[in-house]
Amino acid sequence: MDILTVNNVTKAYSNHKALDNVSLKVNEGEIFGLLGPNGAGKTTLIRMINQITAPDSGEILLYDHKIKASDITLIGYLPEERGLYKKMKVGEQAIYLAELKGLKPSVAQKKLKAWFEKFDISSWWDKKVEELSKGMQQKVQFITTVLHEPKLLIFDEPFSGFDPINTNLLKEEIIQLQANGATIIFSTHNMESVEEICDSIVLINKAEKILEGQVKDIKQRFKHNEYEVVTPADDYSMESLLPSGCQLIRSEINSELRTSILTIEKGRNAELLSRILTITDIISYRELLPSMNDIFIKTVKNYE
Amino acid sequence: MNKIKIIIRREYLTRVRKKSFLVMTILGPLLITSLWLVPFFLAQTSDSQSRIIVVDETGNKEPKTEPLFKNKLKSNEEAKIEYMEDIAKAQALLREGSCEAVLEIVSANDMPPIKSFWFFGDSEPSLSAQHDVENQLTALFKDHYLKYNCGVTEEDIAFINNPKVNFYSKNILTGKDSYKEIKTGLGAIAGFLIYFFIFIFGSQIIRSVSEEKMSRIVEVLVSSIKPVQLLLGKLIGVALVGLTQFMLWIVLTFAVIMGIQSAAPDLFSAPQKENITLNEQVISVDKVQQIDAAPTSQIIQGLFSINYGLIIVMFLFYFIAGYFLYASLYGAVGSLIDIDTDGQQFTLPITIPMILAIVCLPMVMNNPSGPVAFWLSIIPFTSPIIMMVRIPFGVPIWEVCLSMGLMLLAIWGSIWLAAKIYRTAILLYGKKITYKEIWKWLKYRN
Repeated sequence: MDILTVNNVTKAYSNHKALDNVSLKVNEGEIFGLLGPNGAGKTTLIRMINQITAPDSGEILLYDHKIKASDITLIGYLPEERGLYKKMKVGEQAIYLAELKGLKPSVAQKKLKAWFEKFDISSWWDKKVEELSKGMQQKVQFITTVLHEPKLLIFDEPFSGFDPINTNLLKEEIIQLQANGATIIFSTHNMESVEEICDSIVLINKAEKILEGQVKDIKQRFKHNEYEVVTPADDYSMESLLPSGCQLIRSEINSELRTSILTIEKGRNAELLSRILTITDIISYRELLPSMNDIFIKTVKNYE
Repeated sequence: MNKIKIIIRREYLTRVRKKSFLVMTILGPLLITSLWLVPFFLAQTSDSQSRIIVVDETGNKEPKTEPLFKNKLKSNEEAKIEYMEDIAKAQALLREGSCEAVLEIVSANDMPPIKSFWFFGDSEPSLSAQHDVENQLTALFKDHYLKYNCGVTEEDIAFINNPKVNFYSKNILTGKDSYKEIKTGLGAIAGFLIYFFIFIFGSQIIRSVSEEKMSRIVEVLVSSIKPVQLLLGKLIGVALVGLTQFMLWIVLTFAVIMGIQSAAPDLFSAPQKENITLNEQVISVDKVQQIDAAPTSQIIQGLFSINYGLIIVMFLFYFIAGYFLYASLYGAVGSLIDIDTDGQQFTLPITIPMILAIVCLPMVMNNPSGPVAFWLSIIPFTSPIIMMVRIPFGVPIWEVCLSMGLMLLAIWGSIWLAAKIYRTAILLYGKKITYKEIWKWLKYRN
C-alpha cells in the first residue's frame, strides 16, 4: 500500500520553476530516497508534504485522502538546517515541540525520558540548548522529530554534522524505526547511505523527476555486464582464456592475486569459467553493479 | 486553536520568567516616580540662581532724585538681584566672573524714558531669568507712570494689575464643567502609554520573529502549525506580557508613591502648589474664595467630572487594537531580517505614522475637535494615540464608531498582509528582499 502519493505536482516561484509535473509513490514501510543535486526541488517537495507550502497544481495524498492539516501529527520532519530555541531548556523545549505535534505534556515527558535514557543524555534535560555542542543539539532534534511516533518520517540530510559513531547510531535508529513500521523519506547526497538503507529512490533534477525505482532494479538497469574475476597471479595470460564476445577491460596484480575486470556476453559465463579453471583456480567471481554514486552522476549529466 | 494556546503559553512564560522582565517591572515604577521627582528636586536646589547686579542710574540726572527701581526688583528662583551704585565696579565684578549679569538702567529723553543695558559674561543667565527681570522693569515703570503722571491711586493700580478674567466653561448640553487641562493631561497620558506600548513590544516582536528565523527552528514549527497561527500566537503572547507588565507597573508605582508619601510627606507640597496655579484657570470668578479654602477640591471635582468608564473602555480598545495593527507589521518585518540584512528599511515606513501622531499631539491637544484631530483620529495608524487624546473632551459617537470600525478593518488587513509576507519570508535565506519581491508574495496562493 502507498502511504504517500504525489500526483503531477507543479510549483513555480516568481522567477523559476521549483517542481515541474512530478509524480511519485512511497510504499508503506519502506525507506525511500529522495535524491537530487542542490536546488533540484527536493526541499520544495518536502515542504509540500509538510504542508508548509502548497502545490500550484497537482495533489499530494496520504494513504488515500488528500493531505490535510490534521495529518501533520502523522508526519515527523527533520529539516536540513536544524535549529532549536537557544535559550530554552532542552527538556522543556522537547515537550513544547511534542505538544505542537499533538502529544499531551505528560505523555511527551514520559516518552522523552525513555529516549533520553536510551541515548544516555538524561543529564541534558535541564541544560539550555546553547550549552550543548552542535552534535548534541542534533541528537535532541532527532528525538523531537520521532517522539510522536509518526507514520511517515522525513529526514533531510540527517547525517550531516554527525561524527561516524553518531552517524552509525542514527542509522541503526532509522532502521529500527522502519522495523517498527514507520515509512521513511530520506533526502540526501550521501549515496553510500542510500545504497545501505534505501529500498527505492526518486532522482529529481532541475524540478523534474529523471529516475525512479527500487534500488536493486535501478542497479540492474545500469549494469554493463561487467564481472570481476580474482585468480592467483600465476604466469598465464587472461586474454587468451577469453571466449569470443568477452573483453578484458583491465587486469592488475596485487599481492599474488590477479584481479581482472571484463565484460561477458550473456550466456557465456559457464564457458569462461570452465576455460579459466583448466589453467588455474578461481578465488572469487562476481558481477559488478554500478554504485548509486555513479548512477547519480551519470543520470544527472546525461540529463544535461 | 488549541495549538495557538500552546504558542501563547510559551511566548508568555519564557518572557515573564526572564530576568529582564523582573528588572523592568521593578525599574519601571522607579523610573516613572523619579521622572516625577526630578523636576521637584531640581527646583529645590538653588545652585542655578544667577547673581544679577542692578545699577540704577535713573536718579542721577540733575536734579538728583530717588532712583526709580532701587530695591524694587525682586529676586526669584533663578535670579538673585543685588544693587550697586558704581557701574564700573559692577562691570569689574562681572569680568572676573563673580556675577552673571549687570543691568544698567538709565533715564532717557525718549519714549519710554527709561533705557536699560544688559551686560553678561561667560555664563549668561537663563532666558527666563532675563524675561522675568524685563517684565518686572516694565511693570514697575508702568506703575510709576500711572501713579505720578496720571495720578492714579495705589489702590486703583493694584486693581488694574490684579484681575485676570477667567473662563468658567460649562457644556451647554450636559451642564458639566470643562476642566480642559485635566482632560488634556489624561488624554496625553493615555496616548503616550499606547505609543510606548506599541514601540517597546513591537520591537520585541521583530526580535523574536527574526531569532526564530535565524535559529532555523521556524521550519520545524511551521511543519506543526500554520505560519499565521504561529504569528498570531506570538502577537497575543507578547500582548499579554505587556498587559501584565503595565498592570504591575501601575500597582508598583502606587506602592512606591504611597511609600514615599508616608516616609516624606513634605515632598508632596510642591506639586500641590502647581495644582493651585492650574486651578486658577479652571475656577470661576464667583468661586475665588472657595478656592483659597480648598485648592485641591477643584482637581478632585475635575477628575470626577470625567467619564472614566468610557475612557477605560476606549483605552483598552485602542491599546490592544493599536498594538495588533503595528505588531503584526513588525512581525512581517522581523521575518524579513536575515543574518546580513537588518529590517531597518522596512521598519521606517511603519514607524512614520506613529511619529506623525506624536508630532501632531500638541496641535490636537490645543484643538481637540479641529480637522487635524478629526482626520488623525479616524486614520487607523494614528487613531490609537490621537483618539485617546480626544476622548476625554467628548467625541461624537459616529466618529468613534467610524474610527473603531476602520481600526478593525485595518487590523484585519495588516494581519492578512503580515501573514502573506511572514510565511514566505521566514523560510527565505540569503536573498536580498525588495519591495517588488514582497509585492509578488502577496499574490501567492499558498
